[in-house]
Amino acid sequence: MIEAENLCKKFERSVRRGRRSVKEEFFAVDHVSLEARPGEIVGILGPNGAGKTTLLRMLGMLMTPTEGNVRLSLADGSEIEELTQKKAAIGYLSGNTKLYPRFSIREYLKFLGELYGFDREKIRERTEEIFQVLDMEVFGDNRIEKLSTGQMQRASIARCLMADPAFYILDEPTLGLDILSADAIIHFMQEQKGQGKTVLYSTHYLEEAEFLCDRIYMLCDGKIIAEGSPAQLMEQTGTESLREAFHVLYV
Amino acid sequence: MNKIKILVRKEIMDILRDRKTLIMMVVVPVLLYPLIIIGMALIFGRIAQSQEEKVYTVGYSAECEDTVSRLRELYQKEKENDDGEGGLVFVAWQGDRPLQKEAEEMAGNADQPQENDASQKESGELAGDVGQLSFEMFSGEDTPDILLNITEENGAEHIAVVYNSTDQDSEAAMYEAEELLELYCEELLDDRLAEKGLTEDFLHPVTFEAEDQASDSESFGMNIGGSIGMVLVVTILLGVIYPAIDATAGEKERGTLETLLTLPVTNFQMILSKYISVSLFACITAIISLLSLGGSVLFLIFGVAGEILKDMPYIPAVVLAAAVPGLLLTMISTALLVTAVCMCFCVFARSFKEANNYVTPVLLIIMFASMAGMLPIVEFDHVTAMIPFVNVSLMIRQVTAWQFDPSLAGITILVNLGCSLLIVWVLARIYNSENVLFSDGFAGFALFRKRSEIKKGTIPAPGDLLVGITALLLLLLYAGSAASVRFGFWGAMVSQLLIFAVPLFMVWYLKSDVRTLFSLHRPRCGTVMGSILLYLGVYCLMICAGSLFMELLPGSTENLETSFGPVLDQPFPVILLVTAAMPAVGEEILFRGLLFGSLRARVSVTKAILISAAVFAVFHMSLVKLVPTFMLGAVFAFILSESGSLYVTSFLHFLNNAVSMMVSKYPEQAGKILPFLVKEKLEAPELLILLAAGSGLALAGAALLHRNARRVL
Repeated sequence: MIEAENLCKKFERSVRRGRRSVKEEFFAVDHVSLEARPGEIVGILGPNGAGKTTLLRMLGMLMTPTEGNVRLSLADGSEIEELTQKKAAIGYLSGNTKLYPRFSIREYLKFLGELYGFDREKIRERTEEIFQVLDMEVFGDNRIEKLSTGQMQRASIARCLMADPAFYILDEPTLGLDILSADAIIHFMQEQKGQGKTVLYSTHYLEEAEFLCDRIYMLCDGKIIAEGSPAQLMEQTGTESLREAFHVLYV
Repeated sequence: MNKIKILVRKEIMDILRDRKTLIMMVVVPVLLYPLIIIGMALIFGRIAQSQEEKVYTVGYSAECEDTVSRLRELYQKEKENDDGEGGLVFVAWQGDRPLQKEAEEMAGNADQPQENDASQKESGELAGDVGQLSFEMFSGEDTPDILLNITEENGAEHIAVVYNSTDQDSEAAMYEAEELLELYCEELLDDRLAEKGLTEDFLHPVTFEAEDQASDSESFGMNIGGSIGMVLVVTILLGVIYPAIDATAGEKERGTLETLLTLPVTNFQMILSKYISVSLFACITAIISLLSLGGSVLFLIFGVAGEILKDMPYIPAVVLAAAVPGLLLTMISTALLVTAVCMCFCVFARSFKEANNYVTPVLLIIMFASMAGMLPIVEFDHVTAMIPFVNVSLMIRQVTAWQFDPSLAGITILVNLGCSLLIVWVLARIYNSENVLFSDGFAGFALFRKRSEIKKGTIPAPGDLLVGITALLLLLLYAGSAASVRFGFWGAMVSQLLIFAVPLFMVWYLKSDVRTLFSLHRPRCGTVMGSILLYLGVYCLMICAGSLFMELLPGSTENLETSFGPVLDQPFPVILLVTAAMPAVGEEILFRGLLFGSLRARVSVTKAILISAAVFAVFHMSLVKLVPTFMLGAVFAFILSESGSLYVTSFLHFLNNAVSMMVSKYPEQAGKILPFLVKEKLEAPELLILLAAGSGLALAGAALLHRNARRVL
């Protein structure tokens, strides 16, 4: 389970006052508490600049919160304490997690496997398995710089899968993908959910979130303004779809 | 450790697959050196050869035909054995016209092209003044390369060779003519001696000659070895820059940095592995360059190289056995340092372009420092061995002269390694900063922001201090030294003004609250008393420390005295102003006000005291005074933190400098009052008394100070 308590992140920004621009501090994420349980897909929705990426970066251990903390506990109730172990337990994917262009996917997976402490046999098995699941045998040995966008996205998923993490944190994973590639990602998330993994993801596509997510957190200016299952959110706002609920909440 | 190994392997593979890196690392040193060195040699050879074949015209006034005809004869005789085709051609002029068109071929070739001034040749119709010639009288292609003006002064012939130093031909002709005139002079002298029935021995009652005992290899080392160091350092730089940018800014530009951060490794492991892989490439570049450069130089001057090899038996095998690994270790430690410095700057950049902009000034500074080897006055000693980059070029100069000092090499290697470690530590700190990783690279440097964006009361960040103090050091090094050289004693005031001005500029730019930052508060009476006692105690301890240090480093006293030399000639009030009053204000503002004041807002007081004292000690650039200045810096910082008043430390600083100047100017009088001040060496009982008295005074002072402490923060 991923549990966040009072997470805050302060940044500086330039503000114009009269003819001068001044730096001021602001909360990109403002006292956010949330949880995501095993076997659940949790969505984070919000307009641009709402703080989704910063929130996910903190949950993914890429950024240190200004205040608050993130707890990761496994299915048996044991909590992961150490930072590198936390990172190993999280599969983090975003638009900014590109792969080394001068490596092939196979080489990259080998490198990851070594870092996770797998032996040679396990690395080979896991690579074959991932290649099969994601249908990558054809381009698995090409340099990543030579791959198409869809292939690249699959390679990124392969990167997340390698350690078989208990938690997935995905920042707008379907952004800019064609229908087939996007479907592959959605399929991947559902499959992980079926295996009892925790999936936390942010998106702009409301229809996608409506049928995919078990629960949703709505974020605005760094704060959570609503939470619940898609059905609950629609009920709260008296609307028929998540899109309408979104409009009601953000007016 | 295992993780670092895996990461290093990945980095190396990544770098190796990039062709640009390989080109810079291998192709440039392997091809460029031979091309440049051998190519240059060929070109220079060509130029020298063509100069030998050239014909230079020498204009002279027709009136002086007598002298010139003797010169011509002499020249012809001299040139007989020479098979070169060029030489001097004498053309007589009257006014601005050639008197006769008989360009005589001094070198013996009759097919030389004739002067193309046939149209002007109207001998017989001469006008204007005769005698002195100057270039203004000529125009266009007819202008001779040099002119001879021959006059008579006090019964001796005076020949002025008029030439134009900006014209290569003219200059070459001048040298040729000079040689000829020397011969002429000798000949005349011989004639005169013969007239009087004397021999040449009459002129030389004493004969002498300077005998250069330097072997060929030594002078080769001095002449060429000086620049090799710089070339090697620059090659390492060129080899390092690309992988360094690729591993830091490149990661951001490709968008792989965030991926890297998701890996189960700490940021320290990440940056360390990057550092290890880039420095590995730097070392390889260093070794390849060394081989390529050495190879092409040896190839070019094979004769000289043979001479050098002949000299080799003079070096004991033990020294040689130490020199080779010593040189190798020096190159490796330099490569490590260059890598650390480069990466430290590249890590701030978000793109290749930006990184290049940051690295260029670094490259220039390193290049400049490594030029030290080309300056004969800079010697390789214990002080220069402690300056990074300067030490490498000096050491290579020494090694190329077949000398090797293991202790200096040891210092060089240790200093380089120490600096590298320090910079890697800084690098790791920078790499841990989210500001650097995710957004604005220079967030840690308020100085790089527009002043209008800076908040009032900003306290300088460590980055600002680093930039400010580095800038000040550079200013002192160039502007300060230049002023000292130009204006002597008064020029030293420029340095003092700079020390004062740079911190003030910083606090103005950063809009810091000067009163709080510099602790400009009125002191309490108790703190003043306590501070004075503490200072006196520490002063005693400093004398003990200084005396002990002298024991360890005999012979270092000379440094102390010579450094005060020119100052002591001034009247005492002036000395007080420049060496006591001005540093008391400037240095206190810099080291205590700005440095200690900013640091204590970020780190613990103890750390702030130690860091500011260390910088204070290093800033004084004296190995002998290192420990005493450190103690002084620490105690002043402590007094400032307890008393909360910069006035107190300024007063004590003034007192300290004034006393030491007084002792230097009036050693006899000072010795009568306090004998231990002027003694070079203290006996054990004196030392013990000083130690006891000093400790007692210091403790009492510290206690008094502490009781009356005024803590501002």
